[in-house]
Amino acid sequence: MKNDFRKQYPLWMMGFIVVLGMFLFGVSSPTTHIVNTETEQSILVELGPIGVVFAIGSVILYCLMMIVFYAQLKRHNKKNPAEKISIFPIRPPEYLEQDEGMTHITRKASQKVYTFMSWSLPLLAVFAMFSPFSRIYTVFVILLIALIQYVIYYVEIRTHFKEEDE
Amino acid sequence: MLKNRVKELRARYGFTQSDLGKQVDVTRQTIAFIEKGEFSPSITLSLKLAKALQTNVNDLFWLEEDDDHEK
Repeated sequence: MKNDFRKQYPLWMMGFIVVLGMFLFGVSSPTTHIVNTETEQSILVELGPIGVVFAIGSVILYCLMMIVFYAQLKRHNKKNPAEKISIFPIRPPEYLEQDEGMTHITRKASQKVYTFMSWSLPLLAVFAMFSPFSRIYTVFVILLIALIQYVIYYVEIRTHFKEEDE
Repeated sequence: MLKNRVKELRARYGFTQSDLGKQVDVTRQTIAFIEKGEFSPSITLSLKLAKALQTNVNDLFWLEEDDDHEK
């Protein structure tokens, strides 16, 4: 179970969300020059040095993570032909449903995530409607909610397996 | 709360959690969850466990407030 890729899957998703957040941070504060005269119309977007580091660094990091993620996924599928995971799964691969015990643990974790989502999404809607901040902050909050849902799921599953012994 | 003697009987017959899991067609983790009382198995799984541990369901599982249970 320790090396079960489905158990590690939420960690990967958390990682991808953090990298996406880094990218967003990098591209969210460029200096913009707009020229709109009778003879010239142009838009110049300049990233600051920190923005460049975050934007390019996050793209490189994302690509590296995708390579390792894909290798792990292929290894899992080779070892577990009966429980293959698609690269773009519709059903969350982190669901553990080999038997009724696993289904029970998955249900408990999913219930906690659902509870979190049931109040965080309405709050997000209110935040998006009335926030005086830039739209980019709404995107950050969406990423934060996505991150927290994986944290809740992972912590709940991990709690059940932590004290497990033979 | 549902209590059980799965761990005790498993040890008596010298089964590991994996051995018992294979006999009743569940994962080792599920056996561990049952032993720790984190999970109450279905009637089907309870019957399978009782059969594998050569006992009956009443002797394998009982409710905590059941004072008359003989261990």
